[in-house]
Amino acid sequence: MAWLGLSGEPCYARGDSLIMRTSQEMFTAKAGGRERRKPSWRASLGLVLCLLGSGLTRAGWAQSQEGKALVEMRHANAIVVENNPLNTATNLQDSLTERGSYNFSDMGSWIWGAVTRDRQTCRFWKSFEIPDGAGIVRARLRITADNEYTLYLDGRELGRDAEWRHLYEYDLTALLSPGRHILAVDAYNSSREAGMILGFQIGLADGRVVKVKSDTSWVVGADDVPGWEPVRNWQKMSALPASWPPATVVASCGSGPWAVSPWYIDIVPPMTREVIPFWQTGWFQITVLAVLGLLILVTFWVLTQLALHTKEQRLLQRERARIARDIHDDLGMRMTQMVLQGEVAQSEMPPGSELHTHLSQMCEDARGTLRAMDEVLWAINPRRDNLREFTTYVCRYAQAFLKDTAIQCTLDVEPEMSTIAFNLPLRRNLLLAVKEALNNAAKHSHATELVLRIRQQNETLLVEVRDNGQGFEPTLANPERNGLANLTQRMQELGGRCHITSQPGKGCSVELFMPLVNRRRQLLRLDWWRKLDPLPPKPEPSITSARHPADSKPT
Amino acid sequence: MTKPPKDNVTKTLKIALVEDQPKARDNWCRLINSFPDLRCICTCKSGEEALRVIPEVPPDVILMDIFLPRMSGIECTAQLKALLPQTQIIILTAMDDEELIFMALEAGADGYLLKRTKPADLRAALLEVLEGGAPMSSEIARRVITSFRSKAKTRDESLHLSTREEQILLLLTKGCSNKMIADRLELSVVTVCHHLKHVFEKMHVSSRTEAAIRYLNLHNPTD
Repeated sequence: MAWLGLSGEPCYARGDSLIMRTSQEMFTAKAGGRERRKPSWRASLGLVLCLLGSGLTRAGWAQSQEGKALVEMRHANAIVVENNPLNTATNLQDSLTERGSYNFSDMGSWIWGAVTRDRQTCRFWKSFEIPDGAGIVRARLRITADNEYTLYLDGRELGRDAEWRHLYEYDLTALLSPGRHILAVDAYNSSREAGMILGFQIGLADGRVVKVKSDTSWVVGADDVPGWEPVRNWQKMSALPASWPPATVVASCGSGPWAVSPWYIDIVPPMTREVIPFWQTGWFQITVLAVLGLLILVTFWVLTQLALHTKEQRLLQRERARIARDIHDDLGMRMTQMVLQGEVAQSEMPPGSELHTHLSQMCEDARGTLRAMDEVLWAINPRRDNLREFTTYVCRYAQAFLKDTAIQCTLDVEPEMSTIAFNLPLRRNLLLAVKEALNNAAKHSHATELVLRIRQQNETLLVEVRDNGQGFEPTLANPERNGLANLTQRMQELGGRCHITSQPGKGCSVELFMPLVNRRRQLLRLDWWRKLDPLPPKPEPSITSARHPADSKPT
Repeated sequence: MTKPPKDNVTKTLKIALVEDQPKARDNWCRLINSFPDLRCICTCKSGEEALRVIPEVPPDVILMDIFLPRMSGIECTAQLKALLPQTQIIILTAMDDEELIFMALEAGADGYLLKRTKPADLRAALLEVLEGGAPMSSEIARRVITSFRSKAKTRDESLHLSTREEQILLLLTKGCSNKMIADRLELSVVTVCHHLKHVFEKMHVSSRTEAAIRYLNLHNPTD
């Protein structure tokens, strides 16, 4: 379709009626056009009839059925005039090519691949350059294709249409910038003639005009071109595809089978470059979603671990409680009865006999066992996992331990000790440390008084064992034989520290500091459950290893 | 002192025993009877039996096992104490658990003994309890103070600990023995024991009052 009138002056096809027709009829109309190319009397006659019938200087469609064409033309006239966008005022304000004059000289030629087939797709590709530093005043692109086209600029689709009788006008002023750009057209021919025509004018601020027309400088990719390789995203490729041949000019503008002026110039609203805020960009949203998803996963994971850990703890506590109950109800009772039985047997023996002594020793051993069991029970009972129970136990132990010695034990304990959690490994090991300190005082200090002081200072527990004994010179103490050296090491393994002060003749003070771990802070660490147990995995010393003095004392 | 001849002749301590294990019951009985001045006059195998039998043969001391089937030793103690206020009740426990002991003392027990106590110490402890010197460890003393302080706001004034009693309890929490307390406060040991006896009585009263209040609240919730 070309839009130059037969007389060379612009003329317009008024085709509203045809637009309303089915594609079958369009096909018919075009067929007429083609017949005109092979000079046909019917076509000529049709044209003449058109001219005569309308009485206007204009091109009509060559129709094989003259009568029908006439009717349509008349019909067309009736509708098109009001709807013709070319008559609107805006169209007259064309600065590049005065649209009022409808000079289509800026259009290229009808181009296509070397071969034309029905149901054929042709891909047109062309790059052009806008000089650096040039301001773009106006960029107008006109295109149409027989039968369909999709237009791409720099890989982005600008629009598509399927009406070869119309010319589509795009205002790309806002989309262009200096530099190299790629125009790509994906055209489809449903049958018979095929062509694509394009004219692109870019007016620069300095008065220059960059023109891009459809001509042989375009390259074509089509299924039937030898050596042509399909390329993915070919619209976006920036280099000339090597195997693509140049386009073939099918007809020049205003000649050939499309030798009519457009019925319409469809003006596509000016395209603007949309500034997408970063939060609306796909990548940003995907990232945010991914981060959120990850967060949810991590939360689930942490919650699962937490639940598992809680369950484990509960099971462990239940098991500990069960063991404690078993020891208490079964072992404890049997041992107690044994002691009782022994005592009864003993009381029925004449005192002083060998058997009496043996029985007495047995009873004493059994009592020692019971005392040891008391300690195990204390350690194992989950109800004792708090600071107050620890304090109670240590006080009681110290009193019982020193009862049989010459040392007077005084307690200095906060009346309201908190019930903050103080779990088994910590309290058991701290008890062992206190035992060691008490043992030391009882064995070596020759003290008469001992103060056991237990204080909770912020998040640290302080247990001080202070005696008024002979003391020693810390630097001279033999570390190999010094039980207090072990103490320092043990406290360090537990995450606490031990501070021993002594002077010859001025007693000795052993201060044991143990951090009371803040559980909430602990929970914030992702691997906190691995660190709940601060003990090294080496075999732990038995809690009953430091024996009560009464245990070994012969009766 | 008023009846020295009787004391000299028949000062045998009548003891009742509540213990569910038959073997243990027998052993305890034999052990008690092995002392010339102690005599086991009655053995019961459950709290219910104790409540039925013991008031008819009022003993001087009741030895009460803490774990009994159905009615616990603590409950039985509370009920027996109501029936026989003059009888001393001593709780027997296999394991050294201050929580239980405190509960027993609150229920009206006058003292406690570990079952593994040596017979000689058993006798001494029994005599000590009879004299009014209930054994009180530092932890029990601490619990007593806490318990009285928490109750002070709601209970009537007569249940408050006197200054002297509180002083003695505070010294007990520091691990002082009765003798040391007597030294520090310049009192006689007997006076200290006397004060402690009062503390126990108040404890029983307070627990009884509490029970009564609970009972009233339960039956007249609108009050």
